[in-house]
Amino acid sequence: MLTKESQRLLLSGVAVAATIGTAQAQSTTGTAAGTSISNTATASFTVNGAAQTASSNTATFVVDRKVNLTVAKLQAGNTQVNLSQTGAAAAFSVTNNTNAPQDFLLAAAQALSVGILPASDNYDLTNLHVYVDANGNNTYDPGVDVATFIDELAPDASKTVFIVGDVPSTASANLAYVGLNVTVGAGGTVNSQGAALVATVGADRDNQVDIVFADNDSEGDGDLLGDAARNGQSWAYAGFEVAVRSLNLTVNKTATVVTDGVSTLNPKALPGATVQYCLTVNNATLTTPATNVSLTDVIPANTTYVPGSITVGGIGAGGVCLVGGVPIADDGSTTGLYTGSFNATTKTVTATIPLLIGGGSVAASFRVTLN
Amino acid sequence: MFARLLLALVLAASAWPATAAGPLEVTTRILVERRVAARDGTTQIRTVPATRAVPGDRLTVVLAYRNTGARPIDNLVLANPVPRQIAYRGPAEGSPLPELSVDGRQFGALESLRVALASAGSRAAGPDDVTAVRWRLNGPVAAGASGTLSFRGVLK
Repeated sequence: MLTKESQRLLLSGVAVAATIGTAQAQSTTGTAAGTSISNTATASFTVNGAAQTASSNTATFVVDRKVNLTVAKLQAGNTQVNLSQTGAAAAFSVTNNTNAPQDFLLAAAQALSVGILPASDNYDLTNLHVYVDANGNNTYDPGVDVATFIDELAPDASKTVFIVGDVPSTASANLAYVGLNVTVGAGGTVNSQGAALVATVGADRDNQVDIVFADNDSEGDGDLLGDAARNGQSWAYAGFEVAVRSLNLTVNKTATVVTDGVSTLNPKALPGATVQYCLTVNNATLTTPATNVSLTDVIPANTTYVPGSITVGGIGAGGVCLVGGVPIADDGSTTGLYTGSFNATTKTVTATIPLLIGGGSVAASFRVTLN
Repeated sequence: MFARLLLALVLAASAWPATAAGPLEVTTRILVERRVAARDGTTQIRTVPATRAVPGDRLTVVLAYRNTGARPIDNLVLANPVPRQIAYRGPAEGSPLPELSVDGRQFGALESLRVALASAGSRAAGPDDVTAVRWRLNGPVAAGASGTLSFRGVLK
């Protein structure tokens, strides 16, 4: 049975020792790396009926860095792309499961092991890059999402990254499979990419924060292909699938006599009359835009091209130009959304429409005089 | 350099205040479990000093006591506040069952403890709620006698 005196001393000892614990915020990644954990015991006893107390030494250790991360494809299924599409993107999430802020190094690869690559993979993207989502909208914004590594990601925090590439024009292209390789880098310096972490080997040292890799094998195949467990890296994969191969584009061409030099109300196709040709191109594939639509037209025999008469970007319906477009210089020097030219040698009119949305129509026109 | 020396002196002085004067010497150690693959293909668990420890590791806190005096010690009570980054999991193998506390004041078996809720009332305490352990030794500790007490926990 305890004496009152020793009980009092014991309780005061507990109260004093309880203040030793370090105050640190807890998270699901656990106690932050570098936290010092101390233990002290207190004793109370009697010798010949006289109460005494004793304290132990303080045992201390430093919590080490438990390096872990999760990389996952954000989108369901493959990224749907078109032939010759530029800046096609696949989205991934990268989560820091380490008990400290870390940098994350990003790399994209298309040379993947057989077994990871699906059999239908038959082309490679060009101009391959990895960018970090700057504004958190999970959509690749060219020119905005430009960071190539994740800087100082807090424990439990996530970032979206994109693999971005260009699709070739090869007609047989079907599926490109790409891998995102994420490596945990040293944190601590803002706006600077930390070096890849290396696990601490050799004798345990307790005056420093050791690096311990605790990440899983991304493929779960027992370290056979791709990623391995406990290497401070993780992989995730996505496909770029060519979804739409052909568009339902139609061109409607009409000729209208503008002036004949005789009648202004009802001009006829007399020699010397001016005729306007109107070409209306329509994209009937509603879900897919057409890019870089090029119209060419050789002027008819026995006609003379009216210099400077090309316009592109007008509004047309049923082959009739209702509203004129942007005037285009004959020598092709016009820059802007629409371009075009007239080649006097081949007597060919060219007009280029960079983007024609699904269901959209754009008109181009030029004029000739009858000889 | 001078400051560091001074700090070391202060630490040394505060760590051993009673052992210099009293007859009871108490030392504490923290050990961590390591799974080691043995040659026969089995996995052995070894406990090593907790120098490399990460969240989720299993720890053992060991108290060793020794009566360095000439007379027996009676009514020995050893108390150990559980560091707040360590979740209590139970007595270590071979160690007597400690009394537990969730508030540092009232000690008893885990089943008898309750945690007050922010709203009215209370709930039964679990291992995660333990903030302190203590052992009350029944018999006297003879001169020169010693023993160890220990409990297990997980690094949060």
